[in-house]
Amino acid sequence: MKRNLLKSLVMTAAVLVGMNGAVAQQPHVYINPGHGGHESDDRNVVVAPFAQGDTAGFWESNASLWKGFALQEVLKKKGYKTSISRVTNDENSDLNLSTIVALCNASGADIFYAIHSNATGAGDNYRINFPLGLYRGYTGQPQVAGSDKLASDLGVYLIANQSTVWTNNNYAIYGDWTFYPSWGLQGLGVLRGNNVVSMLDEGSFHDYIPETYRLINRDYCWVEGWNFSLGADRYFGRLDQYDLGIITGNLRDDRLLRDATYVMHGADVRQPINNATVCLLDANGNVVQTTTTDNIQNGIYLFKYVAPGTYTVEVSEAEHFGQSKEVTVAANAPTYCNFDLKRVRNTPPEVVSYSPVWASGDAPVKCVEPIVLQFNWDMDIASTEAAFTITPHVDGKITWEDTNYRMIFTPDDAYDVNTLYTVTLKKSAQHGGGTEMERDFTMQFTTQGRNHLNTLALWPREGCKVHFKTVNSEFRTDSLLQSKDLFNLFRIKDKDATEQAWNKRSIKNNKSGDAYGYIRLPLTKDLVAGDDYVLEIDREVSDTAGIHLPAAQVIHFKAVDMGSEKPGSVVLFDGESADGAAVTGNYASAALSTSTTRLLGSKSLQLKYDFTGVTNEAQAVINLSELPQQGFARGDTLGVHVWGDMSCNALKVVLAPADDSAIAPIEVDLGNIDFHGWQYLTCVPSNGGNYRLTGFKLSHDTEGSRAKMGVSGTLLIDDVLYQKTSGESGIGHVALAGVKVMPNPASDYLVASADGLIQGVELYDMAGALVARHAGNYINVSDITSGVYAFKVYVNGLISTHKVVVSH
Amino acid sequence: MKHLLLTALGCAALMASAQQVTVTQSSRLLQGVEGPAYHPVLNGDGSRLLFTGTDGSGLKMYDFALDVTTRISDAAGAGMDAFFGGDGKVYYVTQTRNEHNLIYRTGHAYDPATAQSSVVLEAQHGAMRPMQGTTGAGLKAPARDFATSQLGTAVCTQGSEVIVTVNGRERRFSPVESHAGYLWASLSPDGQHVAFFAAGRGVVVMDLNGRVEAELGNYEMPSWYDDHYIVAQNATYDGHQFSSSQIVLLKADGTYKTELTRPTSMTMQPTAAAGKIIYTSIDGNLYLTTIAINE
Repeated sequence: MKRNLLKSLVMTAAVLVGMNGAVAQQPHVYINPGHGGHESDDRNVVVAPFAQGDTAGFWESNASLWKGFALQEVLKKKGYKTSISRVTNDENSDLNLSTIVALCNASGADIFYAIHSNATGAGDNYRINFPLGLYRGYTGQPQVAGSDKLASDLGVYLIANQSTVWTNNNYAIYGDWTFYPSWGLQGLGVLRGNNVVSMLDEGSFHDYIPETYRLINRDYCWVEGWNFSLGADRYFGRLDQYDLGIITGNLRDDRLLRDATYVMHGADVRQPINNATVCLLDANGNVVQTTTTDNIQNGIYLFKYVAPGTYTVEVSEAEHFGQSKEVTVAANAPTYCNFDLKRVRNTPPEVVSYSPVWASGDAPVKCVEPIVLQFNWDMDIASTEAAFTITPHVDGKITWEDTNYRMIFTPDDAYDVNTLYTVTLKKSAQHGGGTEMERDFTMQFTTQGRNHLNTLALWPREGCKVHFKTVNSEFRTDSLLQSKDLFNLFRIKDKDATEQAWNKRSIKNNKSGDAYGYIRLPLTKDLVAGDDYVLEIDREVSDTAGIHLPAAQVIHFKAVDMGSEKPGSVVLFDGESADGAAVTGNYASAALSTSTTRLLGSKSLQLKYDFTGVTNEAQAVINLSELPQQGFARGDTLGVHVWGDMSCNALKVVLAPADDSAIAPIEVDLGNIDFHGWQYLTCVPSNGGNYRLTGFKLSHDTEGSRAKMGVSGTLLIDDVLYQKTSGESGIGHVALAGVKVMPNPASDYLVASADGLIQGVELYDMAGALVARHAGNYINVSDITSGVYAFKVYVNGLISTHKVVVSH
Repeated sequence: MKHLLLTALGCAALMASAQQVTVTQSSRLLQGVEGPAYHPVLNGDGSRLLFTGTDGSGLKMYDFALDVTTRISDAAGAGMDAFFGGDGKVYYVTQTRNEHNLIYRTGHAYDPATAQSSVVLEAQHGAMRPMQGTTGAGLKAPARDFATSQLGTAVCTQGSEVIVTVNGRERRFSPVESHAGYLWASLSPDGQHVAFFAAGRGVVVMDLNGRVEAELGNYEMPSWYDDHYIVAQNATYDGHQFSSSQIVLLKADGTYKTELTRPTSMTMQPTAAAGKIIYTSIDGNLYLTTIAINE
């Protein structure tokens, strides 16, 4: 006992006395494991099998805390003093950033690590993965000397991690003032006022889904914590003062692909091995540690605290051949050892099913039918695609499903009509284990006599604006559509990809005998004016013969309030009365009245018309009772609020010179009624002068491609406006969801808050002049004149504009 | 300035109470004279004010009677924990990094009478925590402490402990659980109560024996206004930046709270003494306020 006590005292003394005999101080590391609390400032990435909000899934707060715990554990073993800003993951432990800074300053720490992970904030198709280190100041000019060295010393170990896939092979290091130039000198809150040598690390990108799965694994997070300890050792010159290492790595199938559609880079395209047993054997073959990979798609294993030496890592898993590798462990260093396991495949490959199945005398197949080959094993892509032919040749794309068990050939365009095609897969096609098929495979089919479905009209159209109330979508084709459950192939989604519900009871489908195919889809609820939407139409929309569209369509449109105030406009006609108005022209019937379906006021002018039987110059002209004259300058605008029924008929406005009745009226095109609901149609008369609005002209094409449509229908006209086109500030008020500005009215500060990071705010007067700007989230308005302003908030690369009032 | 404050009587009181608080005076301090000023600290009789720049850089002292600002130090971080000792001197800490990248901290005293600074605690590794004494001052440090011969009653925080020194006898208390630690210990003018901040808990008031007298809520930076009231900061974050910050007045027994400034005033870091309340705003504007409390 006494000997042990003496040995312990000697070891303690050895730690305290450095190599040069001077008293060695215990470095003190302050650990800040990022945001906490599973709250709005936390970040949850939803990956199967975890539902949104499930705290067992990925949360940045979980991963950062596990890394922080690991770092604290390892640093204590290495003789460091540590402090940590949170040890729980709840609301109370989610401290204000300035409080964390004050706690760090008070702790007497030598260095400060803020541990985070990153996100691109971009669309689903843009994903990257690399570590990023930030310190306070401009790049190369840290506010606290040494902070740049702290970051670079850490980066060496993070970028060396071979268990992940980096898309950038360099550790990115920046001063936060350089990295976030729009913030000015604000910088990162947890570094602002921090007096110790400090940095914030974004260890990897947690919205890169393969990395998301890794970050749910505590061992993977532990390794990052370990690597932070190496960064600290390097910074303090203590790399030689710890004598244990680690072995870690990643197990993947050597060729089987992940059955997923998210972005994957490098080896991440291959399937991680779940539930594998990994054993560490010493030089004598004795098992010294055993572990298993988890079941959440990361394949990570770890052996902690391994003495230097030579070892064997053995991996076994039921569906793969076992594998072992010899590794050498060095003191205070990680050893990365990844495995690519070969799957057990013990029979030759063969086509077990296919489509289309066709034999001579059978009905022809659709001209867009894909060719599907189903195999008994996952196939080698290169040899199988090389073995595939179709005669006559068809350009197309081969895709793989079911982790390469199913090959699908999809023609780029429809097959030729009435053609016999022969598909051959030569026996040189191999499965993933390298074995060829025993014989060639052949199939044949002939195609139908029709290969395209043509669109006659569509609403909404790409890039259009739709009145936000009582929205209808309509799709018209040159043949009758297969209407059963057809509405399921049409979707309107808002900017958050939330699908808007159709009013299924009011959906109109074509019926036998109609002149063209159509479906009219009303929405249950109004849209949000100012928001962007998409209409998605699946390629599977087909006619009664099964012919599909050439391709799926995605139509972008914006919901607006067509009745919104048009500044500086003059009402020439309000549609409140049809008194004195008459309709002339060439039609079967036409009647004018007023309708309570209106956009503005209480009524609109209604024209009901029928051109049935009219074979030439079908038109209905609305002649209004005498209206006041209006002086037009060249380039001024005439706007008409029109309710359309997608008749595709052409509408013109008729103007007569006010000062010379001998001159014929002029007709100016407003466009076609190829929309549903209210629109604000505008035209610019080509000449200036004094005009009087005399009416409108609706024309029906009796011969063209649209002759089938708009034979009869209804047209509504509401306020007609005259607008000068100059003198507007151009500042809109489009506020993004989740961005708040308070208070309003304001007398002291206007403060913005948002789910994302606010990069700056600007205040504009209503003439569009910049009044104040701040590279933060607030503006001091105490010295700004009372009035109405536009307040722009820059967040996540977007601008949210808010109408605000300054009042003193 | 007037719009930063709630000028109505007891306006927007957070708890129903018979008290009424009236703002009797409010004004901008050192407007146009000094740049952004943070971490204001008043001396005991309210005649002098310490403040620092952005990131706690440098330390200055403003004398109300003379209307003169004196530069005490240009060192980075010097203004972060500076304070007035009961002896009237200014105590502050500076730091340097040695060849092994360890941070060494040095304690200084500035004597307004001579306008000279002197080192009172030689550089050492680790935290150097301020101890404001009723008659002197001290600095708690890992290897050696500093204390004036007449310290009186003094308090400071260190990790998750409040250190109370009375007549030379030091006692340490951890009256509430807070893993991340305590900050901003403040001794009441009568020397009988300690207010401090416990991370995750908020402002706690205890007696000199470590007995918790009240937990006042999730506020920060408590500073005694008188023997019964405390001013504090009430701030919220959106995860990245302040989304609101205001000054509140809290009764030390927890029975009354009221706003002295609005949440959107972005006011913060209050200090109080001798009837004065001084705070700054997010962009570093100092304000002086006086109030009347009618009980």
